[in-house]
Amino acid sequence: MTSSTHLKTRGRATAELEGGYRRMMLPAVFAVGLFAIIPLAGMLALSFSDYHLLRGTNWEFGLKNFVRLASDKRLMNSVYAMAILSFFGVATQVLIGAAIAVGLSKIVGRWRLGRVLFLLPYAVPHVAVALIWLSLFTPTLSPINAFFDIFGITVPSFLTTKNGALFAIVMADTWTNFPFTMLIILAALQGISPDLEEAAALDGATRVKTFFYITLPLLIPAFLMVTLFRFIDSLKHFPMIFVMTKGGPGRSTQATNYYAYIQTFQNSNVAYGAAIAVTLFVVAAFISFYVAKLNQRVTS
Amino acid sequence: MKKFLSTLFSATVLAGVVSTSSVVNAADELNVVMFGMPYTKGLAALADDFEAKTGIKANIDVIGQDVFENRITLSFTGKSGDIDVVHTPVIQVQRWVSAGWLKPITAEVDAMAVKSDIMAGPLDAYKINGEQWAVPYMAATGLMTYRKDILEEAGVEVPQTWEDMLSVAAKIHNDDTAAIAMRAVPGQGFNMFIFPMVMRAYGGKFFEDYTGGDLTPAINSPETLEALNVYMKLLNDYGPQGAGNFNFAEVQAAAQNGQIAFAVEGTGIAASLVDPEKSKFADKTGITLPPAGPAGRSPAIAVHGLGIPASAKNPELSAKFIEWAVSTETMTKIALAQPFSNFTTQPVAQNEEVVAKYSKVHPDFLTVQAEALNLAIGHYRPLLPEWPALGQAIGENINAALNGLSSPEEALEAAEQEMRDILGN
Repeated sequence: MTSSTHLKTRGRATAELEGGYRRMMLPAVFAVGLFAIIPLAGMLALSFSDYHLLRGTNWEFGLKNFVRLASDKRLMNSVYAMAILSFFGVATQVLIGAAIAVGLSKIVGRWRLGRVLFLLPYAVPHVAVALIWLSLFTPTLSPINAFFDIFGITVPSFLTTKNGALFAIVMADTWTNFPFTMLIILAALQGISPDLEEAAALDGATRVKTFFYITLPLLIPAFLMVTLFRFIDSLKHFPMIFVMTKGGPGRSTQATNYYAYIQTFQNSNVAYGAAIAVTLFVVAAFISFYVAKLNQRVTS
Repeated sequence: MKKFLSTLFSATVLAGVVSTSSVVNAADELNVVMFGMPYTKGLAALADDFEAKTGIKANIDVIGQDVFENRITLSFTGKSGDIDVVHTPVIQVQRWVSAGWLKPITAEVDAMAVKSDIMAGPLDAYKINGEQWAVPYMAATGLMTYRKDILEEAGVEVPQTWEDMLSVAAKIHNDDTAAIAMRAVPGQGFNMFIFPMVMRAYGGKFFEDYTGGDLTPAINSPETLEALNVYMKLLNDYGPQGAGNFNFAEVQAAAQNGQIAFAVEGTGIAASLVDPEKSKFADKTGITLPPAGPAGRSPAIAVHGLGIPASAKNPELSAKFIEWAVSTETMTKIALAQPFSNFTTQPVAQNEEVVAKYSKVHPDFLTVQAEALNLAIGHYRPLLPEWPALGQAIGENINAALNGLSSPEEALEAAEQEMRDILGN
């Protein structure tokens, strides 16, 4: 009897506590609803509509925009550009970020403050980053070209070739975003107990072996997380392209997000632009879900 | 349901705006949104003048052109009414009018005393379906600058035609100083502001008969192909390294650093190249009309003006602001304070100080500019609501050919096909 009363009281207390927690979540739910769900729902509605800035709308809803997506060569071109920019951009950012993080984690004493220097590129606004790299890659303005000119070496013009322009954007993107990957990996490195490395050393493991068999496996969740964050962000390529190439040469650097912008704002085709954006969102959500699952499996 | 959806659409479009200031207007306050140019900067600096004269406070927001286009599209589609006067480029006005974004202001403009002082051509450019939609403040045109010393040394004359330009360029081009640079990045305001000067000189055209109303795309013609070959040869063989990705800023910098002999550019950039305060080569630089072709000379033209959004809450105040902004007095002040010579309020050109200022920049400047404006055709770039889309598509194909991603023939064929797709015929 006593124990059942006790259980009941405890149940009520838990319920009350949970109710309290739920109420505490209300502002967050409201904010997410207002700033994420409603615009998303609107975008979804738009993507099925025929809304055009010039022609208005006949209130016809259907799959027309999505059917068009499947046969749109310019979209395929943009997906290719985006895939190249995302793959090489994220891969370089993670590798460089990890390498610098490992280096910095070994630094002790007052030199540790030097870390701040590596964070600086992350603080520069993207348009400014794009302008810096635009001038570095413009042969008539670039100090790099001027330097090699002294020795009679002509540095090729990157922004006028397809692969060169993609490379230039990857460079700019890497420069401004590697501090983010570095920071996360550095934090993960510092979370690894030094006892593990000491134990390995006592067992006679070399430093290289310790790194590959102890440190690296423990960093995998951090790697997965930064890759995911950077990947999602890389689908939103815009300022670098807008400032450095305007999507050129031709349409070589017109990544999907930039193409959606052209459809919406230049071609006034809001519904089709929304369909592109929705598709991008679905792809990003699908990949995020998959990576999150993978992360769960790794950590458990 | 429809109302809900329409609100939702607007809300969605608006959700994209991060920086839209939703200033609630006081009765005697105006929000003016413009993008950065000498005139707009000059006007922003005179906001206090307007307040002193009328008691109305004007919040003049001068933003980047890219941000501007998104900002106003979002404000207009959302009908937020947060803009009272808007910078209206003539190249956009058809699109805005067909989208119902602007308020017709025929009666307001007729009532303005300054109306008779405004150049008729630019004013007419804002007349659509018998209504006036904006008032011009400037008309920029295309000009060519050349390095006198380089031409003298090579013993050649200033080229009068694009053919002459090819042979002169072959003579003067070298590793230190390239012959010529022009805008090349894709976009209706970038390569498609400059390339039509070559295209039209060779008799190329966008449509079968634009003035007669036959809008069948006709860019894939032997004339345009010849022009494209000339444009490509000039930039690829006689342009600076990387010319295929130049925009106006790179052209300007190359000329200011003495890296090119010729620049074919808009008035603003051309003026800066002959201004001793802006370029160390100014005293060696001459200015003239862009070259001619078999079909004559066709300098570019870009008219800018001020309009009133359909959603503006107090159009009377907006009209008052526009009248002040294009008045001879305000224009003269800006022409003196800024590098602003392409005003469309004519009496400004009679002001002695203004004449003295621009003669000092270059003695021929004002006359060459007037001559170019005289030659320019109003529909240099077609005045159609679909132009931004057409210009973007054509510009991308021209740029692809220039950078060797397609042949010029393929580029023009693709451009014409895309024009048909956009226009739906």
